Amino acid sequence: MDKKLSMIAIAGALLMALPAWAHHSAAIFDDQKSTMLSGTVKSFQWTNPHCWIQVLVPGEPDAVEWSVEMGSPSQLYNIGWKPKTIRPGDKIILQIHPSRDGKNAGLFISATSADGKPVVMP
Amino acid sequence: MKKSVLTLWLLTTVSLLCATCIQAATNDAARVRAFAREPNWTGIWQSSVWLSDASGRPPGGTAQVRATEQLWRDPPYNDEWEATYRAALRDTVTIAAKDAGVTVCLRSFPGLMEGPRAFQVAILPEETLIVFESGQVRHVYTDGRAHPSEDDLWPTDLGDSIGHWEGDTLVIDTIERKSSEPMVPGAWASLLSEQAHFTERLRMVDRDTLEDRITIVDPVALARPWKMAVQFKRRPHMQRMLPYDCTENERNPVVDGKVTIAPPREKPKQ
Repeated sequence: MDKKLSMIAIAGALLMALPAWAHHSAAIFDDQKSTMLSGTVKSFQWTNPHCWIQVLVPGEPDAVEWSVEMGSPSQLYNIGWKPKTIRPGDKIILQIHPSRDGKNAGLFISATSADGKPVVMP
Repeated sequence: MKKSVLTLWLLTTVSLLCATCIQAATNDAARVRAFAREPNWTGIWQSSVWLSDASGRPPGGTAQVRATEQLWRDPPYNDEWEATYRAALRDTVTIAAKDAGVTVCLRSFPGLMEGPRAFQVAILPEETLIVFESGQVRHVYTDGRAHPSEDDLWPTDLGDSIGHWEGDTLVIDTIERKSSEPMVPGAWASLLSEQAHFTERLRMVDRDTLEDRITIVDPVALARPWKMAVQFKRRPHMQRMLPYDCTENERNPVVDGKVTIAPPREKPKQ
């Protein structure tokens, strides 16, 4: 993991890593940690079984691409998300539960735009 | 002569087709009255257990699901099945292997009802269809038929369902559910026999809530009836059903028995 990534690790809720069975086990993500990513949206995959935000986080020498897993389009749509809610090039700050295997990936917690407002109002 | 026969045959065929079209296009008065008596459950619904945030998980995460999904609870087994169940729960190696190796897109009944997939209810006089976003459909026949005879019946994931209306409550009777299916994916030790008999009382509690009171009787496995009440909430922003296709952009392949995260494909299947 690039040490120069713009990340802030904070303690999350102490949750048991039990299978979620929405589509696959949630145990691949560390529910006890949360990580902040600040970067630029590369793409927003509005797809089943999960939507994904691909975000480029500044690093040296190159930006690092992170994959952020979300719910299904149906689940997102129901709480106000649409396929073009975020677009390539958007500046975004993401809070995630990081992947346990150290890959540049995580489970979505929240998203705010560069001005600090939630991307979708809860 | 041949031409006359052909003409007559064509006229007869066209007449029959027209008659069929007219019959198919109209409802008789009795059917119209039957439609009018049906309750209005239009909308898109989802189990209250699985009202999720943008992560696709409920706000309390997996712990909340385990705490609230009633089919995760211990079934009221008889002594013999209880012993088997406890032994299966102690077999953590098998459970871990199943946990690690499974990705779940479809559920069997009754886990389908309490699961994460949204659904619509289409009520016809002859049957009620419970149509899930995953493409699974429960057919509940309300035309007065009985279950098929023994030699015309075999276990399936959803079982065989017939029903009738008691006022605005749909009473569903389901048999022949596969015994190899756990109650919900993940609760691997929680099984029933193929003698399991399910009775549901599905009704609208208020404008935004449906309730399904489920009673499971299994003379082989259970010591007493297993009862639960599942609630479904209207999804207020869903004006249309969106498809759920697990194969569209699968990025969580199982490698060496573990769920992993794959990098994005250049262009996901659209």
